[in-house]
Amino acid sequence: MNDFSEIEKELKKLRPTRTSRQLFVRVEQMLAGPEISEHKIIRPNRFRVNWVAIGFGLAAAAVLILLAQISTDRTSKQRERIAQNSPAPETMPALRGAQRSSSEFIPAGATQVVYNTRDEGLQFPGGSAQPLRRLRYQTHQTWQWRNPATGASLRVSYPGEEIVLIPISGQ
Amino acid sequence: MNIKDREKVMENVATHEDWKVCFRSLAPGLLLFARQWARSRADAEDIVQEAFVKFWRRNHNIDNRALLYATVRSIALDRIRRDSRRTRREAEAVCESEHVVEPQFELTDETQFALAAAVERLPHEQREVLIMKIWNELTFAEIACALGVSQNTAASRYRYALAALKKIFQPQ
Repeated sequence: MNDFSEIEKELKKLRPTRTSRQLFVRVEQMLAGPEISEHKIIRPNRFRVNWVAIGFGLAAAAVLILLAQISTDRTSKQRERIAQNSPAPETMPALRGAQRSSSEFIPAGATQVVYNTRDEGLQFPGGSAQPLRRLRYQTHQTWQWRNPATGASLRVSYPGEEIVLIPISGQ
Repeated sequence: MNIKDREKVMENVATHEDWKVCFRSLAPGLLLFARQWARSRADAEDIVQEAFVKFWRRNHNIDNRALLYATVRSIALDRIRRDSRRTRREAEAVCESEHVVEPQFELTDETQFALAAAVERLPHEQREVLIMKIWNELTFAEIACALGVSQNTAASRYRYALAALKKIFQPQ
């Protein structure tokens, strides 16, 4: 670059023409006045709408809504399955009679929901040669009584467990 | 104004955010820069005015000088495109012939006149780098940023320009 030092020095001696006073006044007026046209403004990045980010956000929201929908559907199907496994609501005739005789409360319903079934495998109880399959049902039972005169109701819920032995015959 | 004076001005500008100090310092160089694309001095002043106002409203200081020169360049090129829609032939004639009647420098003797004429005859790419470097005192990094080229390219163009001028001005 030293080779060019002389020419650089000569170039720097050249002075650009001065700007007019009018230019200074015009800039002053423009800076003092409000920004007139929207399209001439260079907007800082922070105020620009980031369409890509908005697009991703909307897509993510849509996926979440779909997942929530699927999850809800699954839950309702499981509920239906459990309801099918459980026995139909039944009343307790003996209890109904007792309730009628002693108080105004009458049985209003009973439900038994089987929420878990576990196959515990084959067993040979008491040295028996015939195997038995042992099934364990975990349930949740609810009993309800209602007083027609007062409208009061009574509900009792408790977990239950039932073990069923099913004989298996070899064929 | 030498480099130290300019640096002092820049410090002052950065501290006080005074556009007047900044504009007084930069306007001649900016005007010279804008003249490359303008048909007249008045057009160049319009470009500088629009660019500086835009730049100052956005930045409020002169830290990013490369952006200021990029804004001038962008506005000048936009104007050429806009004009070319209406008077395409005329605009092309102005850009390609590069004949500027009004003087761009305050010339004191024939040597300076010859040198100014030699600068005007430089290829456009070299001339814009030379103007940014010599009369606007931008670094190669700033020039590269303003023009969207690498620093090496900017430095090369500068060297080619000096070599060409040396050949014309100081024939051995």
